[in-house]
Amino acid sequence: MGIESALGDGYFTTQIDSLTNWARSNAAWPMPMGLACCAIEMMAFAGPKYDAARFGSEVMRFSPRQSDVMIVAGWVNYKMAHAIRRIWDQMPDPKWCIAMGACASTGGMHRCYGVVQGCDNFLPVDAYVSGCPPRPDALLHALMKIQDKIRTEHSVMLDT
Amino acid sequence: MLSNYLPIVILGVIAIVLALLLMTLSKVLGPSRPNKTKLQPYESGMDPVGEARDRYSISFYLVAMEFIVFDLEVVFVFPWAVRYLDYGVGTLVAMTIFIITLFIGLIYTVKVGTLNWDMKKGMFN
Amino acid sequence: MDLELSETQQAVVDGLSGDFTDAFIEVYQSSGDTFIRVESEAIVDICRYLKDEHHFIYLSDVFGIDRFTSRERFEVVYNIISLRAREHLFIKVRLPEENPVVESITGVWKSANWMEREVYDMFGVEFTNHPDFRRIFMPEDFDYFPLRKEFPLLGIPGSIDLPSTTPDPE
Repeated sequence: MGIESALGDGYFTTQIDSLTNWARSNAAWPMPMGLACCAIEMMAFAGPKYDAARFGSEVMRFSPRQSDVMIVAGWVNYKMAHAIRRIWDQMPDPKWCIAMGACASTGGMHRCYGVVQGCDNFLPVDAYVSGCPPRPDALLHALMKIQDKIRTEHSVMLDT
Repeated sequence: MLSNYLPIVILGVIAIVLALLLMTLSKVLGPSRPNKTKLQPYESGMDPVGEARDRYSISFYLVAMEFIVFDLEVVFVFPWAVRYLDYGVGTLVAMTIFIITLFIGLIYTVKVGTLNWDMKKGMFN
Repeated sequence: MDLELSETQQAVVDGLSGDFTDAFIEVYQSSGDTFIRVESEAIVDICRYLKDEHHFIYLSDVFGIDRFTSRERFEVVYNIISLRAREHLFIKVRLPEENPVVESITGVWKSANWMEREVYDMFGVEFTNHPDFRRIFMPEDFDYFPLRKEFPLLGIPGSIDLPSTTPDPE
């Protein structure tokens, strides 16, 4: 649209940026791609003790159309990688990705022919969480890093 | 007397303005990067299998129809019911006839079996 | 070598020595389990005999072994269980590397269907008369058999494809 020529790089843009980034970072609905044991810790992350809802991740939307953040929790097989890539493509922009656990980040303990050695081989990952499985507060830390990333690195100028 | 409706008008205006504003903002400020995969129907990452449209029970239609009839009956009863003391006996008689007529209709539908979900037992089955 | 066979296992060994003398090769025990090695041509008849006569009605597992020897490279092992006697037994067949073919036992136990597909997928052992003979884990066009000893642990680069890193343009 013609908005970027109208906005330019000025004060108005940065004010809109802070507003939309504040809104987006405080309402980052996750798409849980819970593939293996890390999914249990992701459930704990959404549970009452380590509450993800207080950070704005109110609902785990299992539909890619309604989510902002994809949390890949668990190791990715080569066959599953195609499905995950397609679901990632079906998420509307702007979207971010958290690779939860050792297996999603680098293949983890599964150093073999059937497991993709890190989901960043086919997904643009924004935050990596180490651990096998990571504690729910480690995943909260990653969510907070995503929130910081949205607030500081995202701009409306990128979206138009 | 028309000024009594002012709050409702304000509510309506705010609703319409808010809806239009949010739609415009997301169109203007939001990204739009369609690609072939994004526009495909979602089926858990697999290729879609089968048709999206399916047959479903006709009981939904029957229940909806019944709801419309009795909802409109309620719409007619409510204005009378809030001020029935001021209106006199004639309206009471008229209302009673109205409600009894519709009640006979209700007995008929229950006996025919339209409110049974699987429509198995009824007068005509 | 002293064999401590239970009643059912002794009955099986006696029955096999009696009815299937040509096919019955040896019986041995290892870690408390009894292994019976038979000829691969007679496996279906032996399995049917075990199921009907000795009540081994539960096929627990079918798995393969790559012995990596120059002769009779592959082994297929059938783990069968008799619920009545609460016993289990391992039946082995050895197959040559050039032509690892054995008849499928899905006619005897239906559960062998997927188990034999797994053995085919991982080792390349062919099962004749199999109702649904195709790979089960790896994609259909995968060229190798992963659990053979010469297949590297991390796989062969390029043998299985990753999804693209960019979305398809409209």
